[in-house]
Amino acid sequence: MRRLSPRVLIVTILLMIALSLLILNLSGFLQPVQNLVARPIITVQSWFALRFSALRDVLSSPRDMATLRGEVNRLEAENALLQQEIISLREQAAEADVLAALLNYARSQPQSRYLATNVIGRDVSPFIRSILIGGGSDAGISRGMPVVTSRGLIGRVEEVFATYSRVQLITDPEIAVNIKFQESRTEGILTAQLNGELIVDLIDLNTELSQGELVLTSGLGGKYPVDIPVGRILSIHHRDYDLFQQTTIQSSVEFDQLNIVLVITNFRPLIFEQPNP
Amino acid sequence: MAYVLGIPLLMLLAIFQSALLGNFQFLEGRPDLILLAVIGWGLAGGSEEAMVWGLVGGIFLDMLSGVPIGSTSITLILIGTLVSIYEDRIWEANFLMPLGTTLAGSLLFHIMSLGVILLLGREVDWAYAFSRVILPSTFINLLLALPTVQALKAIRNRLYPPEVEI
Repeated sequence: MRRLSPRVLIVTILLMIALSLLILNLSGFLQPVQNLVARPIITVQSWFALRFSALRDVLSSPRDMATLRGEVNRLEAENALLQQEIISLREQAAEADVLAALLNYARSQPQSRYLATNVIGRDVSPFIRSILIGGGSDAGISRGMPVVTSRGLIGRVEEVFATYSRVQLITDPEIAVNIKFQESRTEGILTAQLNGELIVDLIDLNTELSQGELVLTSGLGGKYPVDIPVGRILSIHHRDYDLFQQTTIQSSVEFDQLNIVLVITNFRPLIFEQPNP
Repeated sequence: MAYVLGIPLLMLLAIFQSALLGNFQFLEGRPDLILLAVIGWGLAGGSEEAMVWGLVGGIFLDMLSGVPIGSTSITLILIGTLVSIYEDRIWEANFLMPLGTTLAGSLLFHIMSLGVILLLGREVDWAYAFSRVILPSTFINLLLALPTVQALKAIRNRLYPPEVEI
């Protein structure tokens, strides 16, 4: 019998180890080990991410501008909050009109509870649009929780480990968000193209939309809370021979500049498992 | 010794890849540090260690990604094997060899990554992936190939000084 060369033997053993890991991971048995191994990695990564974020801020603005920049940030945050408040008030007013007319009923919306957490990295695969955040099941985060910034929706928690989680961004083609347009009150489904462009499809052809109109989550499907800003209409694709019209959306969030995000922890999403074939 | 140095180095490279390199992109391409380390160490003379680096580096990368653990390791082990074919044969005589190996390695790495993405049931736009991710990443990897090989060769010579006949 021919003897295997040591090199072939090494490759075979390594490939078998990798395949075993792959199978264990796909069957979910690797999670406890991953939690254990990830702990020191995430500690180091959080340390780097925080320093790098601070360094980037220092380098990207002159030193004497730091105070002004802080002030601008504060005002921007305040502005974003006020805008959210306006949106919320408009929504409440519109809702109140409808509900009061029908049931004389005022709906009370429970306040969302937020958990602020740092963005510690991005998915190393350039083909998956997700970020890593420095909070996991130890901090009370669970799969499916929506993630926002003061500017609007960024995605939802896709994978949770003890010390970190992976958040799938709304710019990832795998994600779909049920949305509504604030003024025209019509609904649609937002998905991302493979190039990250956000498209809303399945919009009633008879609805009149306008550029710049605000897009909010509709809450349909139970995956996201209602009325989280998503973006504004950038362009409208209306063709009379189509069944539906489409719009391109400009997100209000700058996905490349995410430092801190908020996880909505008191929202329990409905997660539908894929039926077994 | 190569493993004592290699495992923390690979962990740091994976962290850099995730925490920092997302901010330094050319189109949507970025350098693949662990791929460069595996190729560089293999070409510097440690091809069998480079295969193990491929396994370990792949695990670190997959922990910071949405792909299943082990999938990138398979690709990197195969790339380590590819490098071992050329070790001690042409590289010493031909400085273009690191570039050729990096070119082949980068293309194989990204094409196999896309294959994994396809197997996960995700949609892939090949034209977009090639023009915006694979080619820019390969270009950056090629720029970094020679310095990486030289640096790793210097480290390897320090760890394992070549024997000299007196």
